[in-house]
Amino acid sequence: MRLELREITKQFPGVLANDRVSIAVDKGEVLGLLGENGAGKTTLMNILSGLYRPDSGAILIDGTERVFRDPAEAIAAGIGMVHQHFMLVPVFDVIESVALGAEPTTGPLGTFDRATARKQIIELSERYGLAVDPDAKIENLPVGVRQRVEILKALYRKSDILVLDEPSAVLTPQETEELFEIIRGLAKAGTSVIFITHKLNEVLAVADRITVLRRGAVAGNTTPSKADASSLAEMMVGREVQLTVSRGASKPGKPILQVQAMNVLDGRGGVAVHEASFEVHAGEILAVAGVQGNGQTELVEALTGLRPIDSGSLILDGNHLEGGSPRHIADAGVAHIPEDRSRDGMIKGMTVAENYVLNAYHRPPFSTGGRLDLKAIAARATQAVKDFDVRTPSIDTDIASLSGGNQQKVIVAREFGRDVRLVVAAQPTRGLDVGSIEYIHHRIVEQRDAGAAVLIVSTELDEVLALGDRVAVMYEGRIVGILDAKDATRERVGLLMGGAVA
Amino acid sequence: MSTAVMSAVAESAEQRAALRSARIRAVIFLLFTLASFSAASAAGAKEAIFSFWIDKIGGKDIILTFPIAVPWLISGAISGAIATLQFLRGASFRWRAAIGIAAPFYAVATVGALLDGTAANLTVLFTGTLNYAAPVAIGSLAGIISERSGVLNIAIEGKFLLGALAGAVASSLFGVAIAGPIAGLLIGAAVGLLLAVLGLRYKVDQIVAGTIINIGALGITNFLYLRVLQRYPDLNQPVNIDPVTIPVLSDIPVIGNIFFNLSPYFYVAVLLVGFFTYAIFKTRWGLRLRASGEQPSAAGTVGVDVIKLRYRSMILAGALAGFAGSYLALSGTGGFGMGISSGRGFIALAALIFGAWHPVYAFGAALIFGFADATQTLLSILGVGLPPQVLLAVPYVMTIIVVAGLIGRVRGPASAGRPYEQG
Repeated sequence: MRLELREITKQFPGVLANDRVSIAVDKGEVLGLLGENGAGKTTLMNILSGLYRPDSGAILIDGTERVFRDPAEAIAAGIGMVHQHFMLVPVFDVIESVALGAEPTTGPLGTFDRATARKQIIELSERYGLAVDPDAKIENLPVGVRQRVEILKALYRKSDILVLDEPSAVLTPQETEELFEIIRGLAKAGTSVIFITHKLNEVLAVADRITVLRRGAVAGNTTPSKADASSLAEMMVGREVQLTVSRGASKPGKPILQVQAMNVLDGRGGVAVHEASFEVHAGEILAVAGVQGNGQTELVEALTGLRPIDSGSLILDGNHLEGGSPRHIADAGVAHIPEDRSRDGMIKGMTVAENYVLNAYHRPPFSTGGRLDLKAIAARATQAVKDFDVRTPSIDTDIASLSGGNQQKVIVAREFGRDVRLVVAAQPTRGLDVGSIEYIHHRIVEQRDAGAAVLIVSTELDEVLALGDRVAVMYEGRIVGILDAKDATRERVGLLMGGAVA
Repeated sequence: MSTAVMSAVAESAEQRAALRSARIRAVIFLLFTLASFSAASAAGAKEAIFSFWIDKIGGKDIILTFPIAVPWLISGAISGAIATLQFLRGASFRWRAAIGIAAPFYAVATVGALLDGTAANLTVLFTGTLNYAAPVAIGSLAGIISERSGVLNIAIEGKFLLGALAGAVASSLFGVAIAGPIAGLLIGAAVGLLLAVLGLRYKVDQIVAGTIINIGALGITNFLYLRVLQRYPDLNQPVNIDPVTIPVLSDIPVIGNIFFNLSPYFYVAVLLVGFFTYAIFKTRWGLRLRASGEQPSAAGTVGVDVIKLRYRSMILAGALAGFAGSYLALSGTGGFGMGISSGRGFIALAALIFGAWHPVYAFGAALIFGFADATQTLLSILGVGLPPQVLLAVPYVMTIIVVAGLIGRVRGPASAGRPYEQG
């Protein structure tokens, strides 16, 4: 089927999410839809899947205009979505998950016909090479397999158009390669595929044609043979972009952070971090790679005092910090850029200035005898906004109204606003635009060069490889390998991320 | 280290937790065994004197006399067997079902011990248990349907009260028995709809909304009772729904009196529990219901209208709870009285948690709670044994033990209580 979106416009309060966007994909073709976070890709797909109605514009299938009032109508028209966050019920098995919403039934009560569903699913998984155990429970399946279940869901509904939204976000490079094979196979069998991503090398690898979105509008159309990574990046951002982080060689000093045989529990009766041991030296960046959910979150929480350490030691500058409160650890010189910016990094509803002093409001110069010195706070916040290039109408603006990049700059300004011995940065650039990413990277490297130890946790392999002087890989709660930058190739790190032996 | 070894480590974290609970359960059963055997030896030669009506209540009775030690020994042995199986089979052992086997023996032993040699007729004890369980089980079922769809339902108590009042008034007005349950059903459905509008449309916190309904229902029914029913007593003269005698089966000696001469509500409860167990776990409706309660976005993105489904479930749940409430005023209690539900709506809530959101297990929990209630009634009539309040606390204590997760994790629907917004 040929799908065409013509002049789609969608306005949200304050944001023009899609501005007369037109894209098209032919039968058996793979369209790569490239754009930064906030470029309008997800809005466009939500319109296509019937979750949103466009303000204007038309959806055409094989030349006929169609209107989707809800997801059921989009599905009926042959559009299958694989969402970035999987839409699966953890306690269901594969059969139930795939059939949900399109269940075969028997009898007057609408009894779910498991046997029929099972047969159809096995048939599909064999035909398209999507190996899954139909009786396995979703919560017991690895992420890569869950994604196959999502694709099966779309195929089960006889989708002729498959839309994949950031499908590689949770995959190892090898799993991503397998996914590409599946996509090529589907296209060959006549399915039209829209592949949404912000990763340049992925569209180049798998797409037949590429449409680039920028700030809600189409910035250009091209093909992999006519484009390369830097031209795509320029089209996506609107200016020339440096794809690598410029930084000098590291000059590691004495160890600042020493972690020995650390165990951290996950709070659900399991062990999240298992016997982790590593050091981070002054003047070096240790980047922790791994697929999301392999214990990185808990590791960071343990290092910053947010989660108790079950056993093992946490030593900073020779002092034991196990059992220390977050404030105690922060006062020892640990700067923390948290993974979930809006939950742990700032307080929405409070101003930029108030958020800026969250880690120091309780002592001079910001307060004396329990009374806040608002003048001192304003003065320092104003300076910080200038130093860190935070684009805000004023320091009294609600931080929630800033863009993600500017929010992150306020957090970084706060954390770097005092003597830093160790930087713990978790996903420091998630969801940011390229300009902000460059800026944050630059500031982190600056801390390293000033002699701080830096630990970065990232699920983006590109970020890990660009920043890490050494690369540690976590898999199922363990640190399965620590490589020097020169040995840390995409392939080796990728294999470790999948649990292979170092 | 290979991939296989790694995933074995990761799996074992969850398995360890399950195994730990299994061991704790085994130890608890073992303690029960020891307690039972020591109770047996403490009882010595003391005798229990139980009687049952043979053909009809108040007619001829059969008297059983046996040493109290005997049921203690039997229950101790069963507990010991359960403890052993629990140790050997670990987490896979179906301990909830096993409790069902031990429970009757414990019931006999406990009653015998509490009566301490006083003669007592137990037919009423058992019918009391079953009749008590009927509205509680239907109330739990209402809670299960609503929470499985993703809406917390703590307003069962309020629906019981309103259902009871509406049932009494409608039955008095129309003078036919069926009018009572129907009125209960309708008012319950209306309250369910109100809760749904509050929770789903206005996204009021579902605990707060439920609490408002509970307190509001108590106030309204008290007010109407004092100001209307007391002034016009004719409005509170409902046609009682008497126990039905099931032909043939009720003629079985002893058993017939206990199981086949009960309030129709009990048989309706059994049918409803069976029907909805099938519907929730085996049908398309049930699959979608459970998906909405666990991960509504998964259902919404495949075209299931989650909000509509939740509205319907709330109305259905309300109707069931209101229907169960009508029982309270129509079963020989002399019509509606203030606070007639006396916390049974909360007991239903406890039963649904104890029963892990499964209708059959919740029914079992309702029976255990009903037994505790019937026993305390018997003891206070005879004036022997424990202070009655101790037994009345049993459902709550058991629920706390279950909720604390000591004997095994009960996992409710993951998204119950969270509003769903599409897109």
